[in-house]
Amino acid sequence: MSGSQHITHTACEECDLLIDVPEIQEGERALCPRCGHTLTQRPRQGFERALAFAIAGCVFFVIALAYPFLTLSSGGIENVMTLPEASIAIYREQDPILAVIVFVCIIALPIALLATVIALVTPLVLQRRAQWLPRLGKLMFKLNEWAMVEVFVIGTIVSLVKIAKLAKVELGLSFLAYILFAVCLTAAISGLDRMQVWKEIEAASA
Amino acid sequence: MSYPGNTAAARGLALCHVCHRLDPAELHECSRCGSALHLRKADSLQRALALLFTAVILYIPANVLPIMTTLQLGKGEPSTILGGVVLLIKLGSYPIAGVIFIASVMVPIAKLIALFYLVWNGYRSEPASPAQCTQIYRLTELIGKWSMVDVFVVAILVALIHLTGLLVILPGPAAVAFAGVVVSTMLAANSFDTRLIWDRIKDNND
Repeated sequence: MSGSQHITHTACEECDLLIDVPEIQEGERALCPRCGHTLTQRPRQGFERALAFAIAGCVFFVIALAYPFLTLSSGGIENVMTLPEASIAIYREQDPILAVIVFVCIIALPIALLATVIALVTPLVLQRRAQWLPRLGKLMFKLNEWAMVEVFVIGTIVSLVKIAKLAKVELGLSFLAYILFAVCLTAAISGLDRMQVWKEIEAASA
Repeated sequence: MSYPGNTAAARGLALCHVCHRLDPAELHECSRCGSALHLRKADSLQRALALLFTAVILYIPANVLPIMTTLQLGKGEPSTILGGVVLLIKLGSYPIAGVIFIASVMVPIAKLIALFYLVWNGYRSEPASPAQCTQIYRLTELIGKWSMVDVFVVAILVALIHLTGLLVILPGPAAVAFAGVVVSTMLAANSFDTRLIWDRIKDNND
């Protein structure tokens, strides 16, 4: 175990117990002795993994935007739906609030989150210094609470079943890309622990 | 207000809710990321309660009004959330009916009951087991966003069926009300401070 200079004085987020957390190794996690909350963890090569998945996620996201999401054919008529149209069609039906909620949850917020991960983790991995890192760190953890990519994937599958009796629906390349995008986003975020990220931000912005 | 002796608050220390740095509360701003510092989340119980009542009020139109209207050859057929579940059962899609029933009916009600229970325990002088309350809180955080599934289903159906002509699906007023229920319960969970319940534990050293 490391010397006393590596101990972090902290409190549990959920029960406020004062705790001295020792430096942990990759693959380890520290739990609150009273309520069991995960204080911090260090996934193996978390930062590198986060960066790799975030970049891959961006590529999948571009594919998800560019190609057909679902194609519906009924009685000789074919309707190709792209991802942004999930929001645009609602806007056209005079429901702007719902359109904005959908757009934010499935497109705007997830891509903003990925971009923030890349902008934040790249300097940390390359060990560059930057003054704006704390601002990005705050943004990243806020955005993470509201991204709903995995919920949207389930929503799509439910929709498919609902329409299946009415018309033939084909999954587009975009749907596959969006699933991979959701997986990459989740994998990227899971490599980033709040305490570890802020330790690095502090070191890189001081 | 006095805090149990083993907590950060008892020593005047506040954990930054954004970057988890422990700082003296009288700084008012986190010395690392600049976020506002509070010993406990500001007006936690009042805010949570206000948001919960908002959710309860929105829950009524969300269930009574149609979530979408299917126009077939000019004939309109509005359907509510529960109506959608019944339709899926009639179609024989039991797993999907189960998903929608759990996500749109059970989860919002369970979340409302759980959060009301937690807020009530926050007000009581002798609350239920803090460990148990914390478990319930973690569960509400985990299931928080999954109720959005039905809103996304509406978005996809509206966009996909939009141009076929024979069949048109319009978003109903319940969709935006339901999205409001999900958002306000998520905000309520965010404003609730589990540490308030741990604060009621009698301190052995006092």
